[in-house]
Amino acid sequence: MARTLIRRVALGLIAVLGVAVLAFLAEFVVPGDPARAIAPRAQSAAVLQNIRVQLHLNQPLIVQFADYFASLFHGNLGTSYVQRQSVASLIAPRLVTTGWLALAGVVAEIILGGALGLVATLYPRVRAAVTAVNLTLLALPQFVVGLVLLLVFGFRLHMAPVTGGAGPAEIILPALTLGLVGAPWYAQIVADQMADSLSSAYVRTAVAKGLSDRYILRRHVLRNVLSPALTMIGMDLGAYLSGVVTVEVVFGWPGIGLLAVESLQNLDRPVVMGTVIVGAVAVVFFNLLADLVRMYVDPRTREEPA
Amino acid sequence: MTAAAAAAQPSASALEVTGLRVRYGGVTAVRGASLRVERGEVLALIGETGSGKSSLALAAARLLPPSAEVTGQIRIAGQDLAALPPRELRKRRASLVGYIAQDAMAALNPVQPAGRQIGELFRVHRAMPRAAAAAQATAELSRVRIDRPGLVARRFPHQLSGGMRQRVMIAMAVAMAPPLLIADEPTTALDVSTQAEILALATGLREETGAGILWITHDMGVVAELADSVAVMYAGRIVEQGPVHGLFDHPCHPYTEGLLRTRRDLRAGRPGELLYQIEGSPPVPTATTGQAGCPFAPRCPRRTQACDEQEPALAAVAPGRLAACHHASVPPAAPGTTRRPSGAPGPAARHGQEATR
Repeated sequence: MARTLIRRVALGLIAVLGVAVLAFLAEFVVPGDPARAIAPRAQSAAVLQNIRVQLHLNQPLIVQFADYFASLFHGNLGTSYVQRQSVASLIAPRLVTTGWLALAGVVAEIILGGALGLVATLYPRVRAAVTAVNLTLLALPQFVVGLVLLLVFGFRLHMAPVTGGAGPAEIILPALTLGLVGAPWYAQIVADQMADSLSSAYVRTAVAKGLSDRYILRRHVLRNVLSPALTMIGMDLGAYLSGVVTVEVVFGWPGIGLLAVESLQNLDRPVVMGTVIVGAVAVVFFNLLADLVRMYVDPRTREEPA
Repeated sequence: MTAAAAAAQPSASALEVTGLRVRYGGVTAVRGASLRVERGEVLALIGETGSGKSSLALAAARLLPPSAEVTGQIRIAGQDLAALPPRELRKRRASLVGYIAQDAMAALNPVQPAGRQIGELFRVHRAMPRAAAAAQATAELSRVRIDRPGLVARRFPHQLSGGMRQRVMIAMAVAMAPPLLIADEPTTALDVSTQAEILALATGLREETGAGILWITHDMGVVAELADSVAVMYAGRIVEQGPVHGLFDHPCHPYTEGLLRTRRDLRAGRPGELLYQIEGSPPVPTATTGQAGCPFAPRCPRRTQACDEQEPALAAVAPGRLAACHHASVPPAAPGTTRRPSGAPGPAARHGQEATR
């Protein structure tokens, strides 16, 4: 157990490092001069050169690379080119904002997907309708769902704010978008697992023991359904925290995804790197967390891999 | 033991099945089967795969899905399960019939410790608090001869050996002291020594609890070891029934004879000699639906015109011996005088059924 954990954490760190290296290299492939982005109206070459020297952009790639990763190992994500403040202080509040959206999105997915899956399993007559809904949602891109929701509930019905920002009222539509787009996956998992579980020999045993249907669902079926769904929840939380760019852009949700887009446009390399690294850590962390919770729920996954 | 157990008639047979039919959609799996299991008796139900053994067992325990169409009468300790309203059935079924599945790994919930799955019965049906139910579960585990019951109770099914899992399954089946146990090939997936342990356990529990046991198997060795009487199933019907010795020594039905010959050849056969096999294969359930004549006729050495025209009914051939065959061979008058086929004294000897041994 402890050994599994250490192994997983080590593997996770390697993954994060790999992502960071790739992101660093990718940024130098992107055309453009950060100095020009910082001072677009600067006329003299001297001013631009001065900026480059200040940001160490005049040094060879290998030196910049070494500098960046040396400070990264000390937990320093660097300073923004544009905003003149530390990357960590820029990202932290955005991470919290995105965290709320990710959480709300996953909750929406679980509720919508779980409901669809349960309905499809327990009421065979509407199964075809549920499948149709699932397919439709699967086929729709996130931004389409987001825009439709924004048009209908925001502009037409005036039930939700359309101005952007982060608040309890503003979170509803983006969370619903994530929920609708993610729901079919959960519905499928729930329906499959429920069907497996209900036709299983252990449920027959439970019936033979004279347990009521509700008791069997709660004590014998649900936990067996939960286990694979947990993996999905972990993956989604990690992925959303690393930035739900489309949804954040459509709804003007000031999260980490929006920050990443802005920074990319400004060629603000340290901030882009920061968002990528934080995202990678989130993905690794939540996958690990999901596996740990799964070990608690399903004893079969506790065994150390041989 | 409790009100539920007392409500069952103590004098009635453990299981009485009359004219049972089981249909799944258009397929008839059981076509009018009748049998009876007395208290303290082990009835072995044998037959090839697809003969309807498991359908009969599941129907008897009322464990078939609602899509299965079940007609005929099933009485457990005199109680007709079909006559019970759902609530009442739920409350009493565990104290009427214990079901032991073939694959204990699949039949136990993978995410619950063994002890909890047994204790659940006491929690739900006896309203025991958690700690008392856990203690009772441990006691049930030691009853099925598990050495360290406290340890096993905390284990999950996948952490137990096949034999252990089957013991847990049996402990669960007998926990509410039902008058009837139904075991669907419970030793098929086990190795030979574990199989022997489980058989010994079943014999012990039968004596301890006085329950009747319907034991489904296709292993003639198990039949000889464990059973008092045998029912042979073919194409959804019981074709022969009788006490184990008489039936082994002198089968009345040609199908039984064939089944036994396959075994006898195994024991007496010389290396290189071909084993006997019954020609042909059993009919698929769809083929016997609405067909006249004996379903075994196409494979039968005694086939005559009568066999093709009319399906024989299960009828007494000799005292205690039933067969469904137009040309049933009649066993000699004193069936007990010959030696038991397995050579060892069986459990039935203790029940005085083998008077002239």
